[in-house]
Amino acid sequence: MQIVANTISRTFGSTRALVDVSVTLDGGAIHALVGENGAGKSTLLKILGGAERPDAGVMTIDGAPYAPASLGEAVAHGVGLVFQEITINTSLTVAENILVGQLRRFRRGGLLTERAMARRAQELLDSFSADISVNRPLASLDLGQWKCIEIARALSTRPRAIFFDESTAFLNHREVDVVLTAMRALKSQGLAVAFVSHHLAEVGAIADRLTILKDGHKVGDFEAGELDREEIQSRMVGRDMSKGIYPPRGERADGPAVLSLHGVGAGPRLAPLSLTVRQGEIVGVAGLKGAGGERLLEVVAGVERIRSGEIRIGSHTGAARSPAEGWQKGVAYLPGDRTAEGAIVGASVLDNLVMARPPRRGPWFDRRRAGELASNMIARLRIKTASVRAPMTSLSGGNLQKVVLGKCLAAEPRLLLLNNPTRGVDVGARLEIYRSLRESAAKGLAILLVSEDLNELIGLSDRILVMRAGTVTAEIEDPSRATEDALIRHMT
Amino acid sequence: MKLSQTRSLTTDDVRRLFPIMLLIVLCAAFALTSSRFLQFNNLMIVAQQAVVLLVAALGMTFVIIAGSIDLSVGAIVALSALVAAVTAGSIGVFAVVPACIVGLLSGLINGVVVARGKVPSFIVTLGTMVVYRGVVLYFTRGAPISIEDESFLTVYSGRSLSVPHSVLIAIGVIAVTAVVLNLTVFGREVRAIGGGERIAFLTGIKVERVKIAVFGLVGLLCGLAGLLQAARSMAATAQLGEGLELDAIAAVVVGGTPLTGGVGSIQGTILGALIITILSNGMNIIGLDPYFQNIIKGLVLILSVFVTIDRKKIGIIK
Repeated sequence: MQIVANTISRTFGSTRALVDVSVTLDGGAIHALVGENGAGKSTLLKILGGAERPDAGVMTIDGAPYAPASLGEAVAHGVGLVFQEITINTSLTVAENILVGQLRRFRRGGLLTERAMARRAQELLDSFSADISVNRPLASLDLGQWKCIEIARALSTRPRAIFFDESTAFLNHREVDVVLTAMRALKSQGLAVAFVSHHLAEVGAIADRLTILKDGHKVGDFEAGELDREEIQSRMVGRDMSKGIYPPRGERADGPAVLSLHGVGAGPRLAPLSLTVRQGEIVGVAGLKGAGGERLLEVVAGVERIRSGEIRIGSHTGAARSPAEGWQKGVAYLPGDRTAEGAIVGASVLDNLVMARPPRRGPWFDRRRAGELASNMIARLRIKTASVRAPMTSLSGGNLQKVVLGKCLAAEPRLLLLNNPTRGVDVGARLEIYRSLRESAAKGLAILLVSEDLNELIGLSDRILVMRAGTVTAEIEDPSRATEDALIRHMT
Repeated sequence: MKLSQTRSLTTDDVRRLFPIMLLIVLCAAFALTSSRFLQFNNLMIVAQQAVVLLVAALGMTFVIIAGSIDLSVGAIVALSALVAAVTAGSIGVFAVVPACIVGLLSGLINGVVVARGKVPSFIVTLGTMVVYRGVVLYFTRGAPISIEDESFLTVYSGRSLSVPHSVLIAIGVIAVTAVVLNLTVFGREVRAIGGGERIAFLTGIKVERVKIAVFGLVGLLCGLAGLLQAARSMAATAQLGEGLELDAIAAVVVGGTPLTGGVGSIQGTILGALIITILSNGMNIIGLDPYFQNIIKGLVLILSVFVTIDRKKIGIIK
């Protein structure tokens, strides 16, 4: 099994998403496509999987021409695609989710034969050793297991090649491991596996070969181990990354406390804890999903009520009872899901940037000052947008997240709460985000950072709290000497 | 995305300009079929007919942009008309005050239950539509209450320089609502809530307060609309304003404001209200079978949405 794509080009409007890119995917190997947002890797994968058509170039499978006009035609050629988004329907069973595309084959006299479906679905799950029983209710499974169900769905058409488009973007460590294990199992069965990921740790862990793309052009093909992580990043971004992507820490912050918690608890998901964040300090919180970090942010932001203890924000005592009160007290909150909770996608860049604290004169919206504020923020965060009034839909994921951060900074907060600020964001945008966070901290902003990216916590924080099941299990005073393994040990 | 630059521009233009083109086509068609249509007198009748619908629809525009719906506007119009008719005998022109207060209160009740009670606005206003209409029926016992106060009728349904006063009032309402929607922070908050209520909430917008204000605003405008309707028909009846909620929603939607919230314009609603009124007026003037007219109205509604809806921006078409 060999899929060859030769000099593929694709243009969207005035954007050249791919220019003469060639790749070869072999059976029994895992091939990673890496690059920044907008580098063209997802477009390439979608063309290979039949979800997009190339403007120019040819593809072959084992020498025979391969030009799928749709996902369905790609499936007929033995190619399956697993998407970034979760496509599980929770009102169906596990078996129905896996076999949703071929329910007709399980009819007897017009009715579905549930036992035959369950048997086939279980076979598919077991074929790559996913430890999931089809009888489990979907609600009891985690996102990694949901992804496995989607993999089983892709396998139900008996493909010879399977492609993953950022399929781990929304998963946490443990869930990612489940998916990576599944990908290795598929490779050992001789399938050609290709995937797009922002996490170079994943690439290092499972890829046999990688193709680096930048601005629609291929930078090169490399064998696993040929490049280290910094070299891959340098080639993706096109500049030297050997100094690392995290800005240097400043002086140790010993200013006044901006946030202090004394025995603050909020139900079983957050046991009483005490914590101080000083002016100019970045305090990181590590933990698996549900370990309490997110809950902690929600309590401080005023989204969740506290059940016990005392919160002081600056000179105010007492928790914010609503996000509105939180923002008024100078607490800006960047939620974890940027399209559902962070940015209004149907509005413009300007609308989003000035949403938290619109410039006003009495009841009137001050358009002139809003325009200035938005332009300043676009320059400060280097947001790539055609204009201040461009719709959010025209931005890439990384730039969208910069707008959400810009919205927070535009409110001139004294405390910034961040929930996974760089999830699914490429290296280039990450650099800008880290730089501006460090700059803001140097000017006195206190930052509480919850992240599933342990490297980010280690690289950016002045102090790290590790949480497990709602309680703090460790406090690391000098993150520069911490390791991922040490954090994981306290997390699990 | 597959369309070339110039092509996609034209589809966008068609979408944006469709309401005004439809209005022009309708006017041209009726003008060619009947010489009466374009006469000043008929145009003033059209304007007068459009006023009640327009004022209610302007309020509805805010509700729909905020991502909600208000089915009780017709009932609020009837209730306010009743209040205006009852009080006009004693306080004359000043009956506008109790009428608007009752409208405002009715809207605030909707808003409080929707925002604080977290009940979908469709259900809440479906309920209050029946309740408010029930209040009118209870007090009128189904009999009309006529208005005889001369000063009231002169001010609210008279004409100056042959322009109906109600039309002047509607122009004032247009100006005020356009300013509120486009130039105030409140207007931006309404759009933000419609664009993403959870996002607006987490960004510190006082969502409950804004939603209550929006329902209060539509109630207040319906209070005014009820007064104008009562003045025009010189009476308040239990049936007054029946079906107005659907015409108001139709006017907003025909004007290009999607029911999904977050976007919309006052100009669009003005066009929508005119299209719906002119369609009825024109069909009457050219003598179209009245029993056939509703079929045409419904088809025009679907056609407008078919053309103006931006399918790229809608995930699920409900």
